Amino acid sequence: MGLRETAESDLGSILEDSSTGFGVPIIVTDPNGTIGNLIGFSDDISQVIDPDTGVAVSGRFATVALRISSLTLAGLDLPIGIADASSKPWQIQFDDINGNTFLFKVSESNPDRALGIVTCQLELYE
Amino acid sequence: MIPTLIDKQDNFEIVRDQIATILVTEVANQMTLATIAGEDPDDWELRIFTERSNPWEQFLNEQTDRSPLINIWYDNSNFVPSGSNISERQETVGIFNIDCYGYGKSADISGGGHTPGDQEAAFEVQKALRLVRNILMAAEYTYLDLRGLVWQRWPQSITVFQPQIDAAKVLQIVGARIAFKVTFNEFSPQVTENTLELVSTTVFRTEDGEIVLEADYEYPL
Repeated sequence: MGLRETAESDLGSILEDSSTGFGVPIIVTDPNGTIGNLIGFSDDISQVIDPDTGVAVSGRFATVALRISSLTLAGLDLPIGIADASSKPWQIQFDDINGNTFLFKVSESNPDRALGIVTCQLELYE
Repeated sequence: MIPTLIDKQDNFEIVRDQIATILVTEVANQMTLATIAGEDPDDWELRIFTERSNPWEQFLNEQTDRSPLINIWYDNSNFVPSGSNISERQETVGIFNIDCYGYGKSADISGGGHTPGDQEAAFEVQKALRLVRNILMAAEYTYLDLRGLVWQRWPQSITVFQPQIDAAKVLQIVGARIAFKVTFNEFSPQVTENTLELVSTTVFRTEDGEIVLEADYEYPL
């Protein structure tokens, strides 16, 4: 097994360990309604947005990192941002550390096909 | 020395506050008219602030009130010597920035598709621009309800700020600015006169048409 394959398999213990690691359950729904229950990293922090008026706006910045091979196993493609308003977006749902559930849509995805991980930038969805 | 306390508002402050007052009053009126017309009054709601510089927390997290924010702040003034006099009055061309913030949140459409948050934010801020410009440029406010003080008001420019491409965010916010130009007078403290002598006069017209002025005053002999 080459180093790349080793690194990819390590994602299973690094990214998808929800018992002793930082992994959290993440529900991924594709535009067709296919649902995958995965484990990955989630991030949801405050962020200052500067709309160039000179007064910043307090905001949030959320991402998830998922193992691409796990997405494939769940019957899902790579999540992407859907600009077309007539289509459903990729949806991501996870809980924060206090058990509050938040639903997001994928606004942008950054796959690392060499290592087999995709990072999705999210925006709130209702 | 100037003998009096300068405890007045300058007119740029009065004009700024008047812009805010007009917007608050007219937005409330528009919401009432919308209700009468059977429309959702919330679509006409704007939240008006003046001279705010702290980051907006109104849009943080799950806000229920997502109506656009308006911040009116005084930017600069130029004084026009040709329209002024050297002692009392300065013709002033002031720029008041009216910053608008629109908020958008992506939402599911049950029948299919979704509303993108970035588009919603752009539409919201454009709605705010539309309302603000129409209200301030309405015929009712040709002189901003300050006739005698304000000579002219004019929307000098409207600029919508493009969201940063690399700053993907959970909350979609779009900012825009109306640079609103107002020409008005500023006044400065004047010398307070002292009474030297009281003189009472009576003007007569005599029978032959001659005008005669009779003055009655005391003077030391």
